[in-house]
Amino acid sequence: MRKLFILVLIQIIFNAFSSAQIINNGAKEDESDLYASTKQVNQFMHRFNGEEDLYGKRLYPKDKKYRDASLRKKYLVNLFDIENSELKTKKEGFILFVTSTSKPQYFEFYGDNWFAEVSADFLYNGKEQNIVLFFKLEKENDGYKWSFANAYAGFFEQEFKSSPPSDIKFIHPMSHEIDFMSLDKIFKLKSKQIEHYAIKEYTPDYLTLFFREVKKGTLVFQSVTDVKFHVFQIENWYFEMKYFNRKGDNTGWLISNLIHIPEKEKASLIKSINHEN
Amino acid sequence: MKNIKTLLAIIFTFIIFQNIGAQNDISPERKAAIDSLALEKVRDLSKYISILGDKSTPFSEAARVIDRALELFMPGSTMGVSSLYRKKVEIYPIKDYLQRLTRLNYAKVTITWFNIQYVSDLVKQPDGRYVGVITIFQKFEGVTKEGLKYVDVTKKDITVYVERKQTQIDGIPVGFWDVLLGDIKVKETTKG
Repeated sequence: MRKLFILVLIQIIFNAFSSAQIINNGAKEDESDLYASTKQVNQFMHRFNGEEDLYGKRLYPKDKKYRDASLRKKYLVNLFDIENSELKTKKEGFILFVTSTSKPQYFEFYGDNWFAEVSADFLYNGKEQNIVLFFKLEKENDGYKWSFANAYAGFFEQEFKSSPPSDIKFIHPMSHEIDFMSLDKIFKLKSKQIEHYAIKEYTPDYLTLFFREVKKGTLVFQSVTDVKFHVFQIENWYFEMKYFNRKGDNTGWLISNLIHIPEKEKASLIKSINHEN
Repeated sequence: MKNIKTLLAIIFTFIIFQNIGAQNDISPERKAAIDSLALEKVRDLSKYISILGDKSTPFSEAARVIDRALELFMPGSTMGVSSLYRKKVEIYPIKDYLQRLTRLNYAKVTITWFNIQYVSDLVKQPDGRYVGVITIFQKFEGVTKEGLKYVDVTKKDITVYVERKQTQIDGIPVGFWDVLLGDIKVKETTKG
């Protein structure tokens, strides 16, 4: 049995060696492009933060070059979609700001203030419709998960964009004395414009609507069609990142939009991204 | 004898030993060991896919290879495939995907790895398991018996689940990290 044990160990070592050989003899073409490509969001963060050296090796806090400003600058210039001319002028100021020695800024996976936007196709009553879903990373127990934060669909919004009623414009203020009997007219005559009888602060909650349609079976998931991320972690800046599947060395997860925005205006931008305005 | 058998079984499943009582956090050294273990499983899968795509593989051998391949995965894992020209992702249960490979009409299938891969950090889930993603690039070449060649290069993002488990060897409790593959997203990058 001991001999068998030794044989097994030898076999494992041999297998590991053979596999390494297969990799080394693997396809060589376009490797530099694949190397340059920012292959995962995780790698985007490591490059953005200077947590990966120029040979792709992961850097940890004990490493000398960990979060080194000059290393970050080398990576950061290539983390933008170079085909987007609007980014060209803005990115210099952004890079200088995030790599400043006095107050460097990082993009943290576990940090707040970033979320995912996922476009997906659904069948709604048999017709293909696109719905935008928003996800936030949430802590639970000692771990993390992505959770639905919001949803948006053009056809949901349309349902709440009816013209104001031309008559019976409100529920009159003495309705309480007659047991709200005017509701009878509202529901019979104005059901398509019902939202106009809501309080001023009312905004439709599309996520609840979305869940209800899914539970009813009228909304059936087909496929994810697009994914992007909105990052608000950098002081006075916002950037959007998405995946660029194309030839060349400026590919993978890249910054596709960059806005210099005061902190106090970020809430309104978030609302706009969520179609809440 | 029984204890040695247990030890062998553990080695066969490619796991890493670790004494119970060590800290739960995954150190860079342990992470590197888990990464190589996960990559080993990915290479095994790649080898199985080549065998299944090859017309000369007998049916009985293909069935055995599919069973071996499925042992690499968490139950319920799926394969999502998208192409350059179509964003819609076709999703297949892993078993269905592997069975489809056996029906490919290629006389010869060659899968080569690019010398590039990226292994993400491991993130703890609410259930205590860790999850990561390995990205690899592979070139698929299929040659029909008439000599026609189909080539594509795909990016494969492979989910990896890492779980701390326990066993007993010689009555001593031993903890180990077990690695299983999960859902795989296949994205076409170029067509040959």
